Amino acid sequence: MNEPAAAGPQLAALADPTRRRIFELVAAAPSTVRAVTDQVSVSQPAVSQHLKVLRDAGLVVGTPRGASTVYRADRAGLEPIRAWLDSLWDDALDAFVDAAQAQRDHDPQREDQP
Amino acid sequence: MRRTTQPIEPVRKQRQVPIPPERAFELFTAGMGRWWPLSTHSIAAADATGVRFEGRVGGQIVELTADGTEHLWAVVTTWDPPHRLVLSWHPTIEPEAASTVEVRFLPVEGGTRVELEHRDFEELGEVGPVARENYDPGWEPVLDRLLTRAEAST
Repeated sequence: MNEPAAAGPQLAALADPTRRRIFELVAAAPSTVRAVTDQVSVSQPAVSQHLKVLRDAGLVVGTPRGASTVYRADRAGLEPIRAWLDSLWDDALDAFVDAAQAQRDHDPQREDQP
Repeated sequence: MRRTTQPIEPVRKQRQVPIPPERAFELFTAGMGRWWPLSTHSIAAADATGVRFEGRVGGQIVELTADGTEHLWAVVTTWDPPHRLVLSWHPTIEPEAASTVEVRFLPVEGGTRVELEHRDFEELGEVGPVARENYDPGWEPVLDRLLTRAEAST
């Protein structure tokens, strides 16, 4: 694959389905570990660990509120992924242009058609 | 409004090619296996051998591989040759959570302008208003696709 190097930490963090689900939940609504745990089928310590991985990847930020921490998705953390997608289409469309150019060059009798 | 509810800006691209729309459309679709950079942009990478593009509404875009395994990339949702093409881009994991790729072919002097937009939100409307409200859908289908590719690259 075209190396999604810049997006690597984010892609790796979201490769786990449970972690992706947790990210979905905090993206939908800022939540505490307890609130997330109520909605997934893993233990609270496991949720905490998943949130730590997401936080380390820049995908989630935690804000202390009283005795607990409220987590929310950090959209800026997704920007590397979008940037990689952007470059993917650049590569694909450049190849398309090359192919179209080659087709015209190899098929000149059709070039003169209006 | 929470920042996290803001959509990610769609990816928009355009290119001009020196062939008329009819031929550009045909090359883009039926001819996809001739130009798509399979070695770098595919699930099977070096083992990818081609692309089958079924040009009709409901038709599939499938990556072909050396051992015969096929990987579904997308399904055609709008087929309007040689003007416009819309794909529901749903690789593997959650077919209902697809992103949308729209390609338009506009006649210009000397050829065709190809405009591509990859957006990731609207199609999830099919999931229903409840899901749309409780769900920040924009990135997830994209991620599924990218993850499939990233995993394939390791």
